[in-house]
Amino acid sequence: MSLRTEEMDGNSVRDPVIRMSDVSVTYDDGESYVLDGVTVPIERNEILGIVGESGSGKSMLASSLLDAVPDPGQLSGSVEYRPEENESTEVLALEESELRRLRWEEISMVFQGAMSSFNPTMKIKEHFIETLEAHDAIVGVGMDRARELLEDLYLEPDRVLQSYPHELSGGMQQRALIALSLVLEPNVLVMDEPTAALDLLMQQSILLLLQELRAKYDLTMVFITHDLPLVASLSDRLAVMYAFELVEIGPASEVIGSPTHPYTRALLNATPNLNAPLSEMRPVEGKSPAPINVPSGCSYHPRCPLATEECRANHPPDEPVSPGHTAACFHWEEARTEIELNYDGAETGGDQR
Amino acid sequence: MNNYYLKRTIRAVLTVWIVITLTFGMIRLLPGGPLEQLRGKLLRQGVSPSRVNAMIESYQNVRPNQSLPEQYYEYMTALLTGDLGQSFLQKEPVTAIIGDALPWTVFVMITSTLFIFLIAIVWGALMAYKEGTTFDLLSSSASILFAAVPFYVLGIGLVIVFGYQLELLPTGHRLSPEVEPGLSLLFVLDAVDHAILPIASMVITGAGLQVLAMRGNAIQVLGSDFVRVARLRGLSDQRISVRYVARNAILPMYTGFLTLIGFNLGGSIILEQVFSYPGIGYYMYQALEARDYPLMMGIFLVITVALVLAVYVADLTYGLIDPRVKSGDSREAY
Repeated sequence: MSLRTEEMDGNSVRDPVIRMSDVSVTYDDGESYVLDGVTVPIERNEILGIVGESGSGKSMLASSLLDAVPDPGQLSGSVEYRPEENESTEVLALEESELRRLRWEEISMVFQGAMSSFNPTMKIKEHFIETLEAHDAIVGVGMDRARELLEDLYLEPDRVLQSYPHELSGGMQQRALIALSLVLEPNVLVMDEPTAALDLLMQQSILLLLQELRAKYDLTMVFITHDLPLVASLSDRLAVMYAFELVEIGPASEVIGSPTHPYTRALLNATPNLNAPLSEMRPVEGKSPAPINVPSGCSYHPRCPLATEECRANHPPDEPVSPGHTAACFHWEEARTEIELNYDGAETGGDQR
Repeated sequence: MNNYYLKRTIRAVLTVWIVITLTFGMIRLLPGGPLEQLRGKLLRQGVSPSRVNAMIESYQNVRPNQSLPEQYYEYMTALLTGDLGQSFLQKEPVTAIIGDALPWTVFVMITSTLFIFLIAIVWGALMAYKEGTTFDLLSSSASILFAAVPFYVLGIGLVIVFGYQLELLPTGHRLSPEVEPGLSLLFVLDAVDHAILPIASMVITGAGLQVLAMRGNAIQVLGSDFVRVARLRGLSDQRISVRYVARNAILPMYTGFLTLIGFNLGGSIILEQVFSYPGIGYYMYQALEARDYPLMMGIFLVITVALVLAVYVADLTYGLIDPRVKSGDSREAY
């Protein structure tokens, strides 16, 4: 990767554990893109939040990190995994057997819908044992770790392990799934809408647990959600997805406090906020594009009030806004003044969260 | 939980009792009725009226001059002692005829049903794994085609080809005349030889729908989140196909499997006629033709009890194979 693209990321990432470069996922022989040239480095031990609306390609980004895009999707680009500072592996070039080892041992994943992630006819314990056996881990040691993880997640290990999935509540299943994903001590945990099916209180408690786990197990986390306020308080950095691309990325406080891309600003204005009166809440006008007809140029131009001929014709580069903060927009400077935010704390740079 | 088992048991017994009562009532409500017809026939033959009454009594466990409740009481007590009356046609107790015929029918039908499900599970799972390929398409078409053929039509075809033209297999009967039932290899081989064509016609025509059902189940399981997570967890393909896909795809078919055995016993009436195979269906047909009411009722009762029993067993055991159904309240066969 050239120095220039590094700068264009605008990401001051010193020691990335994963570096995604120009990663695309296509279906129908390249006709439709469901992930379009995503470039993002992931800092070791950070929590990277990725937000976007439904169908913006968030889950595809998550699957790409493990080279686990559902068939017949075609994955291209580069996903570089660096277990240590001086080691480097190209995930997309791995053999099937090497990939098996990478998944769950190095990079693990928690899916949306914990309720459907367990085999309904097997006890939770068997899920742990078979995972350990499949990776040639010592089952006794592994199960001790599983018990510790379950305890860290405030579950009773013996009761949970002896249960069938349907005997646990949604929150318990979610936490058991997180424990299962950490049983082989991975470096990176990718979470795809892990709290989507849970109520607000359970979401909050899981987020707290995740922060504890990160500190204890030196985890890097990629947290994917459509729930902007939820991830804002958790993440170190935030990336905003629109139409299968990353349109803005930066430190969470900056992206929330002084959003730059017109879409991010519109999205924040559409987010329910205690400080803003309901009458000022505005939905983002229009519809987000389907994979088969993404607009040319900037994919947001049909919905953007600032769109010009340039936006319709050319794809905007990632403009550096401030150190570690980029936005893919020709008019990012105008956006800051033209699109007003309807909540307090904006433009002051960071106290919002 | 115990309450559930109790309820199921009571319901099964109740169903059987209602069927018995209905058949008892129907026989007597029919205009003229079989007993009247028999009486007329015997009287025309010049049998003395007192002997006619005695004969009818022995045939039907019924004393014609009794009141209906009394007759019902007598009939039920006779049933409870295992007395189903005397066959008009065979001049034998109905229980003896059924006792001789039932094992053969059960043998043919259970074997057929087992084969149907074995084929369905393996073939259906293969089709699901190869969903959308030519193999899948051809198999689906073949399944629908075979399922559309009535088993008795195929049976007649099989008898003509393998029995009469190629002379490979016997055209009927359950044993060759010279073979005596016993624990000998000759007996077993001869019995299998005679059962091949009836079983084949049931399996070939019956498997299609079950194959398609299994295919559908397996495709659904293959697309489920837990299979995807299992793959990412690095489990071997073998473990996933057995513990994850097969287990979860077969579960919904278990109830159907047991009830199909029960239904097939009823289907034996036509099958055994085609193959002249003296099982309960064969005798049922004869009884129908000859208006041999005691035998008819006896066999009808056996078929009903078999079906009720199949559903009962399915209800009681489903909780054992699917951990989600501990009490069984949510999954009842019927």
